Amino acid sequence: MINFLLRRLFLLGTVLFGLSLLAFSLGYLFPGDPLQNFSGIRQLEPQLRAELTAAYRLDHSYLSQYLAFLNRLWHGDWGLSLASQQPLLSEIRQVLPATIELTSYALLVSFLFGVPLGILAAIKPEGYLGKIINTITVAGYSLPVFWWALLLIMVFSVGLGWFPSGGRLGVLYEIPTVSGFMLVDIFLAETPYQQAIFLDALRHLALPTVVLATFPTTVMIRFVRDAMLEVWEQNYIKTAKAKGLSRLQVLYRHGLRNALLPVIRQIGLQFSALITLAMLTEVIFSWPGIGRWLLDSIYQRNFPAIQAGLMIISVLVITVNMLTEILHTFFNPLARKR
Amino acid sequence: MRKFRLYFEEQHRSPLAQLWREFARQHSALFGLALFSSFLLLSLVAPFITPHDPYLQADNLLLLPPSWSEQGLVQYPFGTDDLGRDLLSRLLKGTTFTFGLALVTVIGALLAGLALGALAGMSQGMKSSFFNHLLDLILTIPSLLLAIIIVAVLGPGLANTAWAVSLALLPQFVHGIRNAINEQLKKDYVTAYRLDGANNWQVLTRLIIPNIWEKIIVMSSMALSTAILDIAALGFLSLGAQAPIPEWGAMISDSLDLIYLAPASVAIPGLLIFAAVLSVNLVGDGLKTAMQRRRES
Repeated sequence: MINFLLRRLFLLGTVLFGLSLLAFSLGYLFPGDPLQNFSGIRQLEPQLRAELTAAYRLDHSYLSQYLAFLNRLWHGDWGLSLASQQPLLSEIRQVLPATIELTSYALLVSFLFGVPLGILAAIKPEGYLGKIINTITVAGYSLPVFWWALLLIMVFSVGLGWFPSGGRLGVLYEIPTVSGFMLVDIFLAETPYQQAIFLDALRHLALPTVVLATFPTTVMIRFVRDAMLEVWEQNYIKTAKAKGLSRLQVLYRHGLRNALLPVIRQIGLQFSALITLAMLTEVIFSWPGIGRWLLDSIYQRNFPAIQAGLMIISVLVITVNMLTEILHTFFNPLARKR
Repeated sequence: MRKFRLYFEEQHRSPLAQLWREFARQHSALFGLALFSSFLLLSLVAPFITPHDPYLQADNLLLLPPSWSEQGLVQYPFGTDDLGRDLLSRLLKGTTFTFGLALVTVIGALLAGLALGALAGMSQGMKSSFFNHLLDLILTIPSLLLAIIIVAVLGPGLANTAWAVSLALLPQFVHGIRNAINEQLKKDYVTAYRLDGANNWQVLTRLIIPNIWEKIIVMSSMALSTAILDIAALGFLSLGAQAPIPEWGAMISDSLDLIYLAPASVAIPGLLIFAAVLSVNLVGDGLKTAMQRRRES
């Protein structure tokens, strides 16, 4: 296990190194002045320019520039946003929790619906139920997410008026930002209308969560179904049946435990797709998350922000990937040998 | 037909015929194949069969409703957009941009991935482990994010979208092909062929590629559905195809502000994207199931 952890740590190091190298080279690859791309300061007076060139070592070799870049990253000096002239790190700190909140609810939904439906589909794969679930999943992961979101808005917000079409909270309410996670903040806030606000936040959450959860849920259903079917063929299931265990007992004691193990890893693999979909979902539902922020930065040609957004999102994805893989290995001794 | 068979003959179908037999048994897969072929045909002949010029702005026919409503005209089955351009012609033309371009990017990524994957799969030691780490890095970045970054560097446009999407698809091709090659290299028949004096090139071209091409097709079908979705998504974010080009995703974002007036102009392009991706997924799924059943039989 220790050996495995060390190897993972080494891999994490290499990946982060490569990522920082990519982010550094983006400063030169983006159109415009590298100094402006790194610092994000719009008006560069000659004196400031000279100072920054010295501080960023732009007159030295690329290696020394890269080391200065790493040093700045480490000390939290990620440059300014070209659009707002605010420090990028504090801007990201404001938008990142919204994305994490939305994606984690979507993951939760995909887990809650995906696993039972997958098991149901695996009970009789050729039966009606199995076929219906199969059809729905194929349709589900073919849906273009932006169109799906627009359809739901058309039906549930415009047509029926059940849910709001965008935003995190109605404009009537004001909640002080403590953690950035809306539901937690509402819980912490001392207002007389706490319950009403909570319901309002949930209504705002409903549509984006459904849209975002569609893809991971369908993938989860198929994954659980395939894993279940594979486990059901194994010899230890036959042994368990031969010992006289009932179907439910076999399912619970031997089937589920083995079939659901790879699901942990699946969460990590899903996360990267989820972040991509979250970017589109956030744009449509005007959800103030990092995806919308990043896309706005692209429209504004805000290169320092694109660079920082790429790094933050990739580090997030890599960390979640790594964590789920370690968890999976922790629970599954068979995976440790490889 | 002969009534009697004098000798007992065992009939062996070729693997390809067996695959087709298992594939044709699945109705959904056949339906997907028919849909896929019609999209393929449309993307080739679309410029010649459009009833109107997709770029022609008929300013006396702005925002014509579809022909099934009272005010519609039968010459314009899906109506016109806010500039008076025929929606059907634009949709037909759009097949070339969304579906055809996705196909081209996947083929490009596949060829490059085959070369790099073979290089990575056949080499051992330092070179391959360096490659692994590089791929692990790129695979962690979501493909649409990678495409967005590439578009941000190159600038928006349809050609740049194609480059960005095929570059973003490349890592998963290399990864998949390298794994498939590694799996084959462990088998005994490769060792036997090597003992006969075959070199790396002969092993690759005569043994490995014929044995993994079905896997490669399944991989390509998954990549194709990603490519269609990514091209449409980039068009929707107006980072891909620019204004007059009738790419389906761009058409949705163009008519987004008309969604109350003309919901069909948002619904129909989206439906086409959905149908295109669905057809690809059905074919890919059918192939996967057919391959699995052939192995079992």
